[in-house]
Amino acid sequence: MALAATQDPLWYKDAIIYQVHVRAFYDSNGDGIGDFGGLAQKLDYLKDLGIDTLWLMPFFPSPLRDDGYDIADYRSVHPNYGTLDDFKSFLDAAHKRGIRVIIEMALNHTSDQHPWFQESRSSRDNPRRDWYVWSDTDTRYGGTRIIFLDTELSNWAWDPVSKEYYWHRFFSHQPDLNYDNPAVREEMWDVMRFWLAMGVDAFRLDAVPYLLEREGTNCENLPETHQIIRDFRARLDREFPGRMFLAEANQWPADLRPYFGNGDEFHAAFHFPLMPRMFMGLKLEDRKPITEILQQTPEIPAVCQWFLFLRNHDELTLEMVTDMERDYMYDEYARDRSMRINLGIRRRLAPLLDNDRRRMELMNGMLMSLPGTPIIYYGDEIGMGDNVNLGDRNGVRTPMQWNGGWNGGFSAADPERLYSPLMLNPVYGYPAVNVASQQRFEHSLLSWMKRIINVRRSTPVFGRGSIEFLYPANHRVLAYVRQWQKETILVVNNVSSSAQAVELDLRRYKGNILVEMFGRNIFPRIGDLPYLLTMGPYQFYWFRLRKI
Amino acid sequence: MAEESILTDDFLRELMNVGEVDILVGVPTYNSAATVGQVVQAIRAGLLQYFPRQRAVIINADGGSRDGTQELVRAASISDMQNAAHPRALRTLHSISARYEGDPGSSKALYTMLAAADLLRPAACAVISADSNIEPDWIPRLLQPVYHDNLDLITPLYRRHKFDGLLVRNLIYPVIRAIYSKSVREPYGSEVAFSGRLGSYLFGCDLWSEDLGFAGVELFLTVAAINDGFRLAQAFLGSKSTLEHAPADLVRAMRDTVGPLFWTLEHKPATQPTSSNGDSVLTLGGNPEVTLEPRRINRKRLYQMFVDGVVELEPILKSILSAGTLAELQQRAAAGENEFCYSDELWVKTVYEFAASYHKAVISRDHIIQALAPLYRGKIHTFVLENRDSGGEELERHMDALCLTFERFKPYLGELWNGRK
Repeated sequence: MALAATQDPLWYKDAIIYQVHVRAFYDSNGDGIGDFGGLAQKLDYLKDLGIDTLWLMPFFPSPLRDDGYDIADYRSVHPNYGTLDDFKSFLDAAHKRGIRVIIEMALNHTSDQHPWFQESRSSRDNPRRDWYVWSDTDTRYGGTRIIFLDTELSNWAWDPVSKEYYWHRFFSHQPDLNYDNPAVREEMWDVMRFWLAMGVDAFRLDAVPYLLEREGTNCENLPETHQIIRDFRARLDREFPGRMFLAEANQWPADLRPYFGNGDEFHAAFHFPLMPRMFMGLKLEDRKPITEILQQTPEIPAVCQWFLFLRNHDELTLEMVTDMERDYMYDEYARDRSMRINLGIRRRLAPLLDNDRRRMELMNGMLMSLPGTPIIYYGDEIGMGDNVNLGDRNGVRTPMQWNGGWNGGFSAADPERLYSPLMLNPVYGYPAVNVASQQRFEHSLLSWMKRIINVRRSTPVFGRGSIEFLYPANHRVLAYVRQWQKETILVVNNVSSSAQAVELDLRRYKGNILVEMFGRNIFPRIGDLPYLLTMGPYQFYWFRLRKI
Repeated sequence: MAEESILTDDFLRELMNVGEVDILVGVPTYNSAATVGQVVQAIRAGLLQYFPRQRAVIINADGGSRDGTQELVRAASISDMQNAAHPRALRTLHSISARYEGDPGSSKALYTMLAAADLLRPAACAVISADSNIEPDWIPRLLQPVYHDNLDLITPLYRRHKFDGLLVRNLIYPVIRAIYSKSVREPYGSEVAFSGRLGSYLFGCDLWSEDLGFAGVELFLTVAAINDGFRLAQAFLGSKSTLEHAPADLVRAMRDTVGPLFWTLEHKPATQPTSSNGDSVLTLGGNPEVTLEPRRINRKRLYQMFVDGVVELEPILKSILSAGTLAELQQRAAAGENEFCYSDELWVKTVYEFAASYHKAVISRDHIIQALAPLYRGKIHTFVLENRDSGGEELERHMDALCLTFERFKPYLGELWNGRK
């Protein structure tokens, strides 16, 4: 039974999400690969951290040529991670702890190993031929960009078996499904129904802008795609009320807005362009990149939500920035070219921020206080590092570091058997950065993360409230007021490396006193004059406004 | 001046909001609304294009404009407060304005900018005249050698008509070259760039409390850089507007340039050894050629003003010039225009005697400067006649000859200066 059915249907607005790959979290059977048994064992850790929603990377049977996004069977579990029963047990255990589970659904494409594709390519007359997009020429849809520039030269690949080209927006081993075919749409809904009936709370629908192709367009964000989403959504609401669709669509906010429809398409979507601008603002020591992108972010229906993140399993994508901004980000965050992949940077949070605790706190503070639902990428709560030598984006997918013992507490297997080498360097290696050591200290990053999550959860304002920027003349200070019903919170962030004085125009809140939300200390009452605050480097304040 | 705070509370608050910067561009103004808008827009465009990653600020020091100058400067700001995206700007660009107390003048304006720079700690500063015909690409030509190459002072080089900038060609450049042994072609630039180091040094000098007047401190900046071991270069910027630097009021122009020159000679004795041709200064962007298109100049009027000056100012000239020099001038004034020639040697002696008299303050210093104006007109009459058909090379030869004469007579200045003549 899903939690969503019995609780607030807008639960995703208040959620704190933790993104994890089953493979990377904990190995319960000693084979060197994390599994559902291991994830279930670590649920208490996650509960203690304060998160209430887990987002799992793909765990379906797959040749694993794209970290599981190349799915070969939508209704099963990859044997590396356990069985379907193991998944069910894990799901029940999570729900018992009040933790919801979001799973991936790669709608757009399958693995070329999927039986559907094998049938489709077997002959031009096969009943499943039309489940994929075939062509006798590779010139159709010429206006379509190539997403994986580092590896792909075309969106068409030649199939030597059936002697035609097939369409793929991602890797050539991931043929796109043909959503013009009603049978495909029915089948994919049936797949989703399979997991929803089991109790899964939400889907992250992968690569939704690319479902359909039309000549003369860029084959993204087509109107017909929205019709398909609306149809899936209507079925979801009808058959599984309280469940949620999350859109993975790396688009500008204005282009993404239609995916919310009138509240009848996606419940939530990632705010991709905000994330690089948070890093940019920090390096520039200037709030402008952050406020500008949020100014350009359109209003969304009241039942919808932006999902915010600092880092995830992919590269820090720089698709949604200008060329000048991209060059700047590369120079500042990925001067070593090996850190770059596609149009992005394959690094984790801590190394991106030079392992600077103050900057990690500030970035997490903004993540938790800007409008939206925050997502924490596994390991970032303890400041794990990355290994750019592992190829593709595997450097940010290394095993979770639980303690300083054997394999970092991740697995009892011989180290050679681990799905990925552990981090071993003196700064980020598991002897230095691990959960056990940080649990022992009140001032560790992990303990601090628990505190900020706890404060964030103490009010619905951050998840549901409006935002109003204050624009103090000091551009190094990002200040905004969050408001929900009768509660008002003032957030002030110093995005610079030096101490700052800032004057805030708070006259409309005259008479209120400020209560700092972490220490609950009282600050002076707001009067007619500009409210003067002094802030240390990378410091931030969350104040609850109280009229007493 | 240094005893009082030149920074008002409002301006200090603005500086606080700007914070530390990499580049500071100052624009001194006084009722400059007709031109300053274009100037700050060009500066802004230059900063955005060539220094997109650097923290920069435009600071206007205003002498009390009543024509909306300050508002025009402030409008060049780029910030998120305007609620409009600036995709070409990575970061906030503050364009702020401060009104300084007292009479308008470049010294107070520069002092205000240096005070701001002292707080904001830029690596590179530039000062751009509010009536400059600046183009955006002048910004990197001025600032990059300072910001990237650690030079301390960049003076401008302009493409000018051969009869533009005559005060610089005939007086200021040759004197600076003779006395300080550096060939700085535009020692009194209305567009200059300097390092934070040099700015701090200048800000710490005692000159701000001295009787410098309210103009001409830019010349002191150049001389201080030469004299005190800073690294300088000159950069070709482009064509200089002909309207600019052709002031209708010659006396005022001389007050603003020759006055500070004589003041500087007094306060910055040369420390560099004399060299015969003036040490060359690193030139960036090539040496500009002069333009030669025909231009009408009323020589007759120049000559008549010279003659009138020599006659009418005789009592004053007597207290400034040696008897021999005055007699020679009177003789030439009486000779008629066709015979008139103000030789380099006579001009050099005239200038040096004026400088020494200014040093000794034999009469009011302002009167000394005013008295030089008609004589300068006489020199220009000769210059124009001599170079009527000159091309660039010949003009350069004539200027070199004049400079060498100034250098040859340098001991004469020393004798005058020390009272032996």
